[in-house]
Amino acid sequence: MEIIEKIKTSKSNVNLTEIQKICLHKLQSSPLPNPKSELWRLSNKSKLSNFLDYTVNEKDSKFDIPYPKNSQSTIRLIIGENCQIKLIEKNYSIQQLSEDELQTYIKEQVSFFKQNENWSELLNLSLSCKNNILGLKINGSKIPPIEIFSHASSNSLNAKTLVIFLEKNCEVELLQVNLGKENSSLSQSTFFCLKENSSVNHGVVSYGENRSNLLNSLNVIQQKNSAYNLGSLHFKFNYARFEISIKQCMGNAKTTIKGMQITKKDEQISTYTKIEFNGPNGFLDQINKSLADDKSHAIFEGSIIVPKIAQRTDASQLSRNLLLSNLAQIDTKPQLEIIADDVKCKHGATISQLNEEELFYMRTRGITLTEASKLQLSSYFQEIISFIPISKDRWDLLDKILNEN
Amino acid sequence: MVNENLVKDVVKETYKYGFVTDIETEKIEKGLNEDIIKLISQKKEEPKFLLDFRLKAFKKWQKMKEPDWAALRYKKIDYQDIIYYSAPKQKEKISSLDEVDPKLLETFDKLGIPLTEQKKLTNVAVDAVFDSVSIATTFREELAEHGVIFCSISEAVKNHADLIEKYLGTVVPASDNYFAALNSAVFSDGSFVYIPKGVTCPMDLSSYFRINSGDSGQFERTLIVAEESSSVSYLEGCTAPMFDTNTLHAAVVELIALDDASIKYSTVQNWYAGDEEGIGGIFNFVTKRGKCLGKRSKISWSQVETGSAITWKYPSCLLLGEESVGEFYSVALTNNLQQADTGTKMIHIGPRTKSTIVSKGISAGNSKNSYRGLVKMGTKATGSRNYSQCDSMLIGDQASANTFPYIKSQQPNSEIEHEASTCRISEDQLFYLQSRGIEFEEAVSMMVSGFCRDVFNQLPMEFAAEADKLLALKLEGSVG
Repeated sequence: MEIIEKIKTSKSNVNLTEIQKICLHKLQSSPLPNPKSELWRLSNKSKLSNFLDYTVNEKDSKFDIPYPKNSQSTIRLIIGENCQIKLIEKNYSIQQLSEDELQTYIKEQVSFFKQNENWSELLNLSLSCKNNILGLKINGSKIPPIEIFSHASSNSLNAKTLVIFLEKNCEVELLQVNLGKENSSLSQSTFFCLKENSSVNHGVVSYGENRSNLLNSLNVIQQKNSAYNLGSLHFKFNYARFEISIKQCMGNAKTTIKGMQITKKDEQISTYTKIEFNGPNGFLDQINKSLADDKSHAIFEGSIIVPKIAQRTDASQLSRNLLLSNLAQIDTKPQLEIIADDVKCKHGATISQLNEEELFYMRTRGITLTEASKLQLSSYFQEIISFIPISKDRWDLLDKILNEN
Repeated sequence: MVNENLVKDVVKETYKYGFVTDIETEKIEKGLNEDIIKLISQKKEEPKFLLDFRLKAFKKWQKMKEPDWAALRYKKIDYQDIIYYSAPKQKEKISSLDEVDPKLLETFDKLGIPLTEQKKLTNVAVDAVFDSVSIATTFREELAEHGVIFCSISEAVKNHADLIEKYLGTVVPASDNYFAALNSAVFSDGSFVYIPKGVTCPMDLSSYFRINSGDSGQFERTLIVAEESSSVSYLEGCTAPMFDTNTLHAAVVELIALDDASIKYSTVQNWYAGDEEGIGGIFNFVTKRGKCLGKRSKISWSQVETGSAITWKYPSCLLLGEESVGEFYSVALTNNLQQADTGTKMIHIGPRTKSTIVSKGISAGNSKNSYRGLVKMGTKATGSRNYSQCDSMLIGDQASANTFPYIKSQQPNSEIEHEASTCRISEDQLFYLQSRGIEFEEAVSMMVSGFCRDVFNQLPMEFAAEADKLLALKLEGSVG
């Protein structure tokens, strides 16, 4: 693993930014995550080492977005293409964060990071050069939808970082698309900071090609009365990890997460979520769906942490899983850690296959088995897909997934 | 708003089993090494296979590390500072209960355990274990008439060596985990039950474990074998005196159920839990596992965990036989500075196996109560089902309740359902009960008892009543 060697010896490299140096320092003593820790014990070791086998590519080749624009008003940005953005309109403004603002914020975040728990972020930030970090400050309302693309070119490892500040009373729809080319590794880290009364509908769609890998981490900090809605979909990656960390700093915030992962062949896709309530009256509604077919492995681990200060928290977490093959496997671990007593917290988990009675009913109505299965899967996916902003009416993700089944 | 002090008063409890029996005991020196193990084996006049088993386990234990994954914090245990064998001095051979030291009988009498003749009418056979040895087993002749073997494991080693050699360590191998390895090396006594083919055990069997000495650990081992089409209900109770030091209890329980056999294993664990400052109390590290070997066999665990400073316990079922059934019903109550990390493992291996998990955790004071469970569907477990329900109740804003369910499926034709919730004693309900003239304490007790009803319904009658009383007692002074 060339990258690990580089991390070990990169101390003297003068071209590195300060953040890169800090992150490298945190990784230097043990450059790999602890395979025995809860967060990494189920992760496929050879797939992770395959992720790290590519050389880091700092300059992207020209990237053509494979999807047509929905409407002219949509704002499109590609991380790594050195895009300059400064939009100041009557109702809203979107500006790039200054280098100072970026440095200060990331440095503050990194100071809390731990080698094992935040390994993906630390790796990302130690590899991400200036060009591959995009920082945005968004203010106002009636903002046109924003699409942000990250991609990895073939035979290389690309590290992209996105930092978004949502100012007070701001409302926005933002779709992030992570694309992995054949034989590539993409390390994507996203930092979201939601100020008071702001709200975002955030979509994350990660779509890979043959033998592509993804390490996707999402770090959200919510201030009072903010609302964070996340709809996510990960599929077609040989190896993918989606790590979500959400902190409701002062409580009184609302978080809704609807995520899905689809695995086939010998793929492994995992989702790890950690939701911390650091104030009273927090709200969480989370559902994670997995579908595992062929010889694949789907993993979900979600933890909800409610300390003493977070009284009157209302949190629910549901993990629903479909296991479609004898050789596939699903691991799920929804966990609650509660100290506050005046709370309503619940979680649930199910693992099953397609409902035979429903299939039988449809077949008695003249629908073929294949069609009936598709119908059932479609209703299973619909709940998540309709929650992903912007894409819902255009990409027809659902058709894409179903036709590939 | 509920009066906090009033509520605290309700959970305060006096541990009524905290007395020490003043009796002459025979103890060996502190520490753990091969010679100590040989000495224990020699004292118990054990055959060679058992000594080999112990020494092999000890070698493995030396290479193992104490597990640290549980949500428990406790001071490091010094394994060389423990006495591994302590027994009350008695005559060499006891032919009847009359020869048992009256002080011992008195102790068990005080604990409410029917050992003496006049109390034998309760129709529960008891094996009473005092520190490292079993002092008496009642109803043996009556049970023998049905072919049931119920005796201490030391006696079984002498009289039924073939059965012990065949089954010991087959469910919990010596190298299973750190505490099981320790137990395998130094286990002193415990109970052995053998139910022959086609026999339904005519009475409930029961073991009562009593730690009396403050510096000796208790390492008992229980083995229950139910042959084809047999059934048995087994009860286990435990208490210890109040010492300001921590005492180690590391037990192993192995259950084996063959075709159509059924074993019901109930525990009311009330070891001394330490005082309000967390001083003293038992460190309870227990490995309990049942193997449903036969077709349509059934193993049911029900437990009420109220004692111990530290509880580390995961009664499990290996569901190997076709259509075998595993059940786990648990109430775990922690108060003051108690910590409990308990739950179950249901490993579905055979086809059409079923398991049910119902776990109720109540945390009060500054305690920590965690449910940790594993449900696994193997590749051959077609048509298998699991249902788990874990509810937690928090009393006071200092207690914590955690849920860590591990769910793994490799079989598409199986179904797993898990649900968990956390709540607290509802003020509305309390107010309603109080407005009906029910005292505050009683109202809290009623609500806790209602919360645990699903589990209490699974306990044998006399145990259910005891458990209910125990909970009310334990909660005395802490509801908030």
